[in-house]
Parts: sequence; structure tokens; C-alpha cells
Amino acid sequence: MYQYNEQDQNLINARVEQYRDQTRRFLAGEIPDEEFRGLRLMNGLYIQRQAPMLRIAVPYGLMNSVQVRKLADITRKYDKNYAHFTTRTNVQLNWPKLEEVPDILAELAEVQMHAIQTSGNCLRNTTTDHFAGVIADEIEDPRPWCEMIRQWTTLHPEFAYLPRKFKIAVTGGPEDRAASQVHDIGLHMVKNAAGEIGFEVLVGGGLGRTPVIGKVIREFLPKQDLLTYLEAILRVYNLNGRRDNKYKARIKILVNALGIDEFRNRVDAEWDVIRNTELALTDDYIAKIKGYFAPHPYASDAVDGISVLENQLEDNAEFRAWYERNTREHKIAGYRAVVISLKPHLKPPGDITDVQLDAVADLADTFNFGEIRSTHDQNLVFAHVAAGDLYTLWQSLRDLNLARANIGTLTDMIVCPGFDFCSLANAHTLGVAEQINEKFDDLDYLYGIGDIKLNMSGCINACAHHHVAHIGILGVDKGGEDYYQITLGGSSREDASLGKIIGKAVPQAEVADTIEKILQVYVANRSEDERFIETVRRIGLEPFKERVYAAVN
Amino acid sequence: MPLLINRVVADDSWLLVDEDNLSAHIDEDIVVPYELFSAHTDSLINAAGKLGVRINGDQDLNLILQHLDKVSLVAIEFPAFTDGRGFSFARILRRSGFSGQIRAEGDVTRDRLEYMERCGFDAFAIPADRYSDDIVSAFGEVPVHYQGSADDERPIFRQN
Repeated sequence: MYQYNEQDQNLINARVEQYRDQTRRFLAGEIPDEEFRGLRLMNGLYIQRQAPMLRIAVPYGLMNSVQVRKLADITRKYDKNYAHFTTRTNVQLNWPKLEEVPDILAELAEVQMHAIQTSGNCLRNTTTDHFAGVIADEIEDPRPWCEMIRQWTTLHPEFAYLPRKFKIAVTGGPEDRAASQVHDIGLHMVKNAAGEIGFEVLVGGGLGRTPVIGKVIREFLPKQDLLTYLEAILRVYNLNGRRDNKYKARIKILVNALGIDEFRNRVDAEWDVIRNTELALTDDYIAKIKGYFAPHPYASDAVDGISVLENQLEDNAEFRAWYERNTREHKIAGYRAVVISLKPHLKPPGDITDVQLDAVADLADTFNFGEIRSTHDQNLVFAHVAAGDLYTLWQSLRDLNLARANIGTLTDMIVCPGFDFCSLANAHTLGVAEQINEKFDDLDYLYGIGDIKLNMSGCINACAHHHVAHIGILGVDKGGEDYYQITLGGSSREDASLGKIIGKAVPQAEVADTIEKILQVYVANRSEDERFIETVRRIGLEPFKERVYAAVN
Repeated sequence: MPLLINRVVADDSWLLVDEDNLSAHIDEDIVVPYELFSAHTDSLINAAGKLGVRINGDQDLNLILQHLDKVSLVAIEFPAFTDGRGFSFARILRRSGFSGQIRAEGDVTRDRLEYMERCGFDAFAIPADRYSDDIVSAFGEVPVHYQGSADDERPIFRQN
């Protein structure tokens, strides 16, 4: 992974001291509340329902064991012994003290971490595929490009006061595990007719109040033009995006208002001016950054572990279930990518304790070249585990309550913290997640349902991406009571689509029962091997509506 | 209202005029609102004094860009500190070759000064109640720049 040089380190150290001084001046009454709000948000600090919340950046979801141990330590020292992973692959502390945040940032800087631009109306953390670099059909590892984007976005002097927040996702091949089509900019590595590798560029996707699938603005962008083109898009947005209404300020609204063709014309006009400036990437820089993402020293005898593994799979059904649901193919024979489930029974999705963080760091050192990835669906990944190590790793993870074999199943939900923590939320989410977990605890039933994506947001801001879930749940407030609106048919993958509302919102107590009815319709209608989303697309919403809203006799 | 020019407190040698007193001062060094510049472009660029134009994010920078060699000062208004359009205005002016003064006006306070300077501002009109003598320490708080800026166009990978 990328290692800071002296300049990178100096930058984050200076940023810590800058923020320390801003905090001091705020506490001394020298900065008005509203202005400090902008400053603290740009450094990841929200004031929440019960306490501040600090969002720490995990650039493109990649960490090393030293960083994860530091996170564990920080949760012990400054928080309540746990942290929460988010859909931007970042990590949140729910109980830091505002006065102590500069000290937390100083500790993070020791391990090359920070909270720069994890909130606010600025360029946010860039995300990517959590299987980047290990997928066989990947065109190229997207992470070096994410790192170049990270550097360009970090403390960008011109784009710190955008109309609204701005999120970029990059994928390395045809599969999309980064929800790239619902980002302000989605970048897909592609190969053109001449065999050159570059980017397909999408713009104007997003969720929130106005969910939109991104539109193609450029079918092929040469690699060296990546940053000049991004800068052209950002400049057009910064100058033309609406600033009179924060609900209409995202780039998707501008793209829709101008139309993609006019928007493209404006970007191209700006790009013409800056395309051949100093911002054009150099071969040396590209090669240097790629050097940080060279393959790990994989063991040539790892394939020998496969026969051992096969016996272990034969002997232990529980291990086999975990292997089938929670591991994925790796392009190097003898290795697997492992998803560590942060969706245990009856615990908030995405939460992890200090003890678990420390243990994960140790396991990463032993089995995964010291690397840990966070995923946009709030799990962790060990991307390079030798076949012969899987059983031992599984046993350790099971002891840590991190081996629930539910990846890709109904209980592998994306859930925002909801009303329990978030001051924006209209409704609770964590209790409903528990209700769903209690109802659908039977793994054989879940495996029978198969691949399905359920996401739940506690308000229209859609932090949990409910619009692009196969089953989306949106919490709404009706006269002081929590109700839940259900959408079906969304997808954040390469076949991205927005879910459609099936009818009026259901009361809190009926959410799990409603999902059960939906699943019954699926089971009754599916043809062989048809996934839930495919059945919904084939038969439409009507059969689901009929079942869910059938008059009670 | 204290004025910083190139990080030093300076007197303001420019006169802001409006529709009513424009004709009385047309041959002096004046700053005119964008609307006046738009309405009297020809007479203003041919006047004897130096010309400054005050613009905000809702107005069309292109009109100034078309007459850049006749303009000596551009004052960019920040109606709120959250309005980031002025940063792009300054960047575009500098890359278009403008070497006159670019002055930040309005909600201009300490924690934006460093980014403003990097985008090309060299003058800052700071509200008196937000001014303090140590305000210049805001410049250079973060000494490492990944991006090019108005005074050094090289991004990090072309520095050194």
C-alpha cells in the first residue's frame, strides 16, 4: 500500500496543528459557531444527538495492521471501546470529546491516518472495489489511481467550498462493487479499440432525496488526463452548481438541469484550456505510485494447501458454509479473499470493538501480509489468504464473533446508525436491524434465499444506500411514530437501478414480517437459480404489493 | 476595514464609485461594481485612471476576461464564507495572465486566507471585528501542496 514520504507526513502533521489551533480559537470564542461548523466538518467532526462523532478517513478502504491497532487504542483511550465502519469505507467514533479531537488526530497522524475531508461540502474520500488487485477479470488495479486522486483532492485550495459534498468511486473492471454509478463521479477502467487502458467517466449519479444513476460523460479518457479532466468537471460544478438550496446543490441536479450534452460541452471547453498543463500526469509519477501497489510476495507452494483445505471442507459443514459464503476467488492459485463479517447476530452492522480490532490486526499480520480492507457494505476483507490457512483463520474469527457466514445474504445489511446516534435521522434503524436478525436467524433459510441485498436508512439522506438495494428500507416519521417505506428492485452493481416503492410505509413492528411476505412471493415465483433481484425485475412489483397489502380477512 | 496586500497591512488607494459619482471620478483609480462595468464598458476602459471591477459569483467573469489588459484590480465578493465560486474566479484570472490585484471582499476571514492566496488572491479586505494582528500566521499553515497553485503551477509530482 501507499507509504507516506516526508512531504505527506509534514502535510498531515501541519493539518493537525492547524485544526488544533482552530479548535482552540473556537473554544476561546474567536470563531463563530457557524464558521467553526464548516471547519470541523471538513475535518470529519459532527455534533450528533448525544455526542460529537469523528469520521476518520480510510482512503479507498485500505489499512495496515499498525493503523488498525492504533484505531483500537484510540477507541479505548478516547471513546467507548468500539468503532463503526461506513459506506465510504471510513471509520467513525461515536463518543469523542470535541476538545480531545486534536489529540486523536495527532495520534492518527503517527500512523499516516487523518480525518481530512471526511465531511463537509468538499471532495470526499475516494472509494473502490474491495477486491481490487485480486480479481481475475480486472483490467487494472484501480488503487494507484485512487491514490493519485487522494493526493489531488487533499486540501485542494479551490474546491474546499463546493455547493455540496462530492464523492468519487473507481472500479478496475466490468464488475462494480463500489456503487460507482451512484457517485458524483464514477470512473471505470476500460480498454479502448486500440488496446489502451483508460477510464470511462460517469457523472451526476447520487442518492439522497433525488436518486439518480450517473450518466456517461466520456467513454474513454486517457490515463494521463485523469486529473485534468476531474479538475475540469469540478471547476464547472464549483462555478455553476446551485448554492441557493442545499437539496438541489449536488452535481446531479446541475447535470440534469443542463442536460448531459451541454454539461459535457462546458467541461470540454474548460478541459481544452487545462488538458496540457502541469496537472497532466507524468509517466514517472504513475509508475512511482503503481510501485506501492506491487503484488504481495505470494508463496509459490500455497497451492499445496488446497488438498488440506478440501479435507477440512469435507469434514466441517460449518466451516464449509463460511467458506462458500464469505470467501472469494483470488487470481493467484492457492489464495482466497476472505470477507470478515461485521454483521453478527444482534449487533449494529459495521461496528467493531477494540478487542476485535486488535485481533484482526494480529490475524492480518499472520495470514494476510498485514493488510486490512474495509468495504462499502460495512465489512472487512483479508484479500490474500493461503488456502492452507483458511481453517485456522476461520477458527480465530469464529472465536471473535467475526465469522458469521452471512456475506451476501439478507442479514448482510447496510444500515446507518439512525435515530440512536444521528441528528439527521427521522427513524431508528438499529432496532429494526435486530428485528430482522431475530426473524431470519436460520442460516439454511438464508442460504435458500440466496444472494440478496437489504439496506436500511434512517432518513431521506440515504446514507445506507437503500435506493440501490434489492430490498430498501427507509425510516420515516409519522406523527412521532417510526414507519418504514419499502422499495424493491434496486442495485448498486454494474446493472445499477433504483428501487421502486411498493406502497405505504409499514409500522416498525411489522418490518420483518413484511420482508418475510416479500420473500415468500420470491420463493413462490422464482425459476431455478434465479436471484431475488432477477425475479423482481421479471415479475414486477404487483405480486409483492398484493401479498404485502392484502386485506386481512 | 483592515486591508492586507501581499500579507502586509496596507492603505487602500482605490476609490469605490457608484452610478451617481462615477462621472466625477472617471479619470481616477476607481473600483466599479460589475453592473456599471457592464453598462459603461467602453468609457471605463478608455478612461485615464486605473480601473478595478467588483464582481460576485452570480456575475459573468467573461466580460472581465475580455478586457483583462484594461483592468488593474478585480475585487471578488464573498457574500458568505461558504460561497466557493470566488476561488475559481481567482484561479481563472491568474491563469489568463492577469497580474493586477485580486482582492477578496465580504465574508473574508482567517481560515480561508491560505486557500485564497493559493488560488491567486493577493489582497484581503477583512472585517474589523474579525481582524487580529496575528492573522497573517494563517498563511503557510500547511506548507506542503499536492496541487499546483497560482504562484506555482506544479502539482506535487512535478515539484522537486
